[in-house]
Amino acid sequence: MRRGATRHSLLVAGKSGRTVDELIQLLAGMGLPGLLAQAAGMLAVCAIIIGYIAVASMFMIWWERKISAHIQVRLGPMRVGGWHGWAQSIADGVKLLLKEDIVPTAADKLVFALAPIVVFATALATYVIIPFGPGLWTKNLNIGVLYYISISSLTVVGIIMAGWSSNNKYSVLGAMRSAAQAISYEVPLVVSVLGVIMVVGSLNMEAIVEYQSSRMWGFFPGHWLVWGQLVGFLVYFTAALAECNRLPFDIPEAESELVAGFHVEYSGIRFAMFFLAEYANMFVVSAIAVTMFLGGWKGPVLTLGFLSPGLAAKLWGLFWFLTKAYFLIFVMMWLRWTLARLRVDQLMHLGWKVLLPIAFLNLGFTGLFLILKDVWWGS
Amino acid sequence: MTAAQVLFYLLAAFTVALALMVVLAQNIVRAAVALIFSFCGLAGLYLLLDAEFLAAVQVLIYVGGITILLLFAILLTSRIAGKGVRVLNEQKLLSGLVAVVLVVLLGAAVRRGFPALAARPPQPENTPAIGELLMTTYALPFEAVSILLLVGMVGAIYLARKEPR
Amino acid sequence: MDAQAATALPQGIEFERGETAEEMYVNMGPQHPSTHGVLRLLLKLDGELIKDCIPYIGYLHRCHEKIGENRNYIQIIPYTDRLDYLASMYNNWSYVKAVEALMGVKPPERAEYMRVILGELQRIASHLIWMGTFGLDIGNFTIFMYCFREREMILDLFESVSGQRLNYAFFRIGGMPMDFPETFYNDADGFLEWFKGRLPEYDRVMTDNIIFQRRVQGVGILSEEDAVGYACSGPVLRGSGIRWDLRKNDPYGIYDRFEFDVPAGDRGDVWDRYMVRRLEMEESARIVEQALAQIPPGEIMAKVPKTIKPPAGQVYSRVESPRGELGHFIISDGTPNPYRYRVRSPAYVNLSALPAMLKGCLVADAVAVLGSIDIVLGEIDR
Repeated sequence: MRRGATRHSLLVAGKSGRTVDELIQLLAGMGLPGLLAQAAGMLAVCAIIIGYIAVASMFMIWWERKISAHIQVRLGPMRVGGWHGWAQSIADGVKLLLKEDIVPTAADKLVFALAPIVVFATALATYVIIPFGPGLWTKNLNIGVLYYISISSLTVVGIIMAGWSSNNKYSVLGAMRSAAQAISYEVPLVVSVLGVIMVVGSLNMEAIVEYQSSRMWGFFPGHWLVWGQLVGFLVYFTAALAECNRLPFDIPEAESELVAGFHVEYSGIRFAMFFLAEYANMFVVSAIAVTMFLGGWKGPVLTLGFLSPGLAAKLWGLFWFLTKAYFLIFVMMWLRWTLARLRVDQLMHLGWKVLLPIAFLNLGFTGLFLILKDVWWGS
Repeated sequence: MTAAQVLFYLLAAFTVALALMVVLAQNIVRAAVALIFSFCGLAGLYLLLDAEFLAAVQVLIYVGGITILLLFAILLTSRIAGKGVRVLNEQKLLSGLVAVVLVVLLGAAVRRGFPALAARPPQPENTPAIGELLMTTYALPFEAVSILLLVGMVGAIYLARKEPR
Repeated sequence: MDAQAATALPQGIEFERGETAEEMYVNMGPQHPSTHGVLRLLLKLDGELIKDCIPYIGYLHRCHEKIGENRNYIQIIPYTDRLDYLASMYNNWSYVKAVEALMGVKPPERAEYMRVILGELQRIASHLIWMGTFGLDIGNFTIFMYCFREREMILDLFESVSGQRLNYAFFRIGGMPMDFPETFYNDADGFLEWFKGRLPEYDRVMTDNIIFQRRVQGVGILSEEDAVGYACSGPVLRGSGIRWDLRKNDPYGIYDRFEFDVPAGDRGDVWDRYMVRRLEMEESARIVEQALAQIPPGEIMAKVPKTIKPPAGQVYSRVESPRGELGHFIISDGTPNPYRYRVRSPAYVNLSALPAMLKGCLVADAVAVLGSIDIVLGEIDR
């Protein structure tokens, strides 16, 4: 356990927010006063993150359509933009922007407008702790994982706000179902992550990745936590699918069920925000899984001649991280187009009576193992 | 005027304004939403005090648990586009006076009781420190709280189950 | 501020208070993605449990039987296609068989073989649509595409034979209008080869998937007595355990020359009905294979007069369509138009058993149970 890190008085600082601090120092060096440099630096990082989310979501939407098409013996988008319809998402985004913004007459206008903002803002806020590479994070919080868990529970608030403000009884019921699903699966999600935290001994994302860094036999990533915490990983992945409202847990979005979803009254850019938030969430969930179970950004680093070692480490770290995260996203999409939908009561049964006991057993065995390890082999 | 002070005043104003909205809003769901945001403001204030674990738990439990509970209760028991309830009654002036007196008294008590700290001593890392305290010094209250939660859950399940026909 | 208002229906839909405070009536359809046509189901709910269900039909009524009285016997044939538009060959066959029985005409051997081949291919096509849309309702989008891929091949076969993809009007009183084209035999053999490998694929995607099994097993049970009592037929009856298939129990045409099994379930739930149809596809492929091997050369049309004027009398003639017993009852009075023309639609009768199947189900199961009956509104409403 690392104790006694020096702390800034203002922001909650972890070991280092290296890249961001470097950026701020760069700006300060250019002559901006301290406060302004900090603000400018933070804004710049925020812009980068939002830009990344926008591009990544558009890519994921196109990719999903392609994957679903090829699984279903079709081709998917082929024309828009030339090569395999790569500009399809952009076209869809433009279309959504140009759509008429319909607000139901008796809806509560303020809450109706706030709901998609809350949902998207919480999705955005969880990007603070994602470690894209060594030093490539917005802020290395000491409470890294806990921060993600608490912010992700705000999504439920946004969903309920959306459902209620649409002034539609079916919307309210859909929102409550969605909220019930989200909070039911939050508990196994948290408990499965606790196993990893116990083994590593810290909530800090960088510490978790560093723990998984050594290799066996020169190349095999033997210390990835997915091997030791396989049960935890599976529980986490299942619960994460449910948090993102993806099939087989997409009751809130399925239109062939009796009750329509919570965002049925939203159109145009407001609907686009819900949609973007869902894909942003998918990425965050995969990123957390990669960090906690699959070794984060660790992977072989090849210094090509013209790159400095620091920069090479950063770029390769980013590459490995994104590869692993998008592989998990691919698995999520694969599952969506292969499996059928769970009924609502079966969903609840799975969350409370299957995943939660398994997660607790995992936690118990992990704790037992850690204590016995100390006793037998000495700490 | 350091950034910390600016942030503090902003957060404090935000929290107080929203708390006022909770009390004065006509629409009960708007009051609940204002409560959510004021809890978030409170979490920000905890962050300024270097209590990051508490801030995260504040968001997780208060916003992600208790206010959801409130919203569920409101949605299940009220008319969807309900007319506003009467928020203020005839005793406006008296209650306003009481509130102001309370603020003055509390402010005076706080200023008297806590002399200004010149520099905050460096805090140990929050999460492990709290964990150790809960498991050693405060183990008994910790267990008592968990029993209380268990009792609450059993009671809720019992009350909510359908009567067997 | 009452509890009922929060869960009540939006304005414009009438509802009644049920016996207890928790009961309410909920409407499914007529515009609903999963009711397979314009069908309205009024569900009486107690919380999530379905207490009763009232199907409202008639949205697709097109006065088929009345039209039949005003057309002569040959003109009715294209109308019959539009009844059960997913299994047109069988509508044609049932009607044509009825008129042939009235007139005492026997179609030649080759025509009978052609009828069997086209009929069984049509059965496969109909079951493929059913399986695809059923999977879609349950949430499995992929099986829909896979089934339609095979159906396209069958439709191409039909197009090469009759020129039409959906409503063929290919049967005539006394035989068939045209022979198979030269390319038909190779194409049909190719399709059968391809299809053999596809059924295990469907099993991997849907049948063996535990989520799908959990959704359909033990749901929508129709007991044997109920199945017989409601006069159900086809896979609905066989799913409940009664091994009754008109091709074996009351054989018509040349069905007694082919070797095939009749699958039946034991519990009468959605899973059994699903498996019956899934296995029937294999059996139909077997029959087509045997028929293609045995088909003799020869005439395809018997000697019938130009104007069909059957002698006065009545007949009820039935075939085993993919949905069940499809029957035509015709009363002739010696004139070129029938006096009374009546269709016994299997989906209509099977749908009447829906309330019995839905007792004790949850709302979320209604879609699965309705899908398992395999209704076609064109046939139900006529």
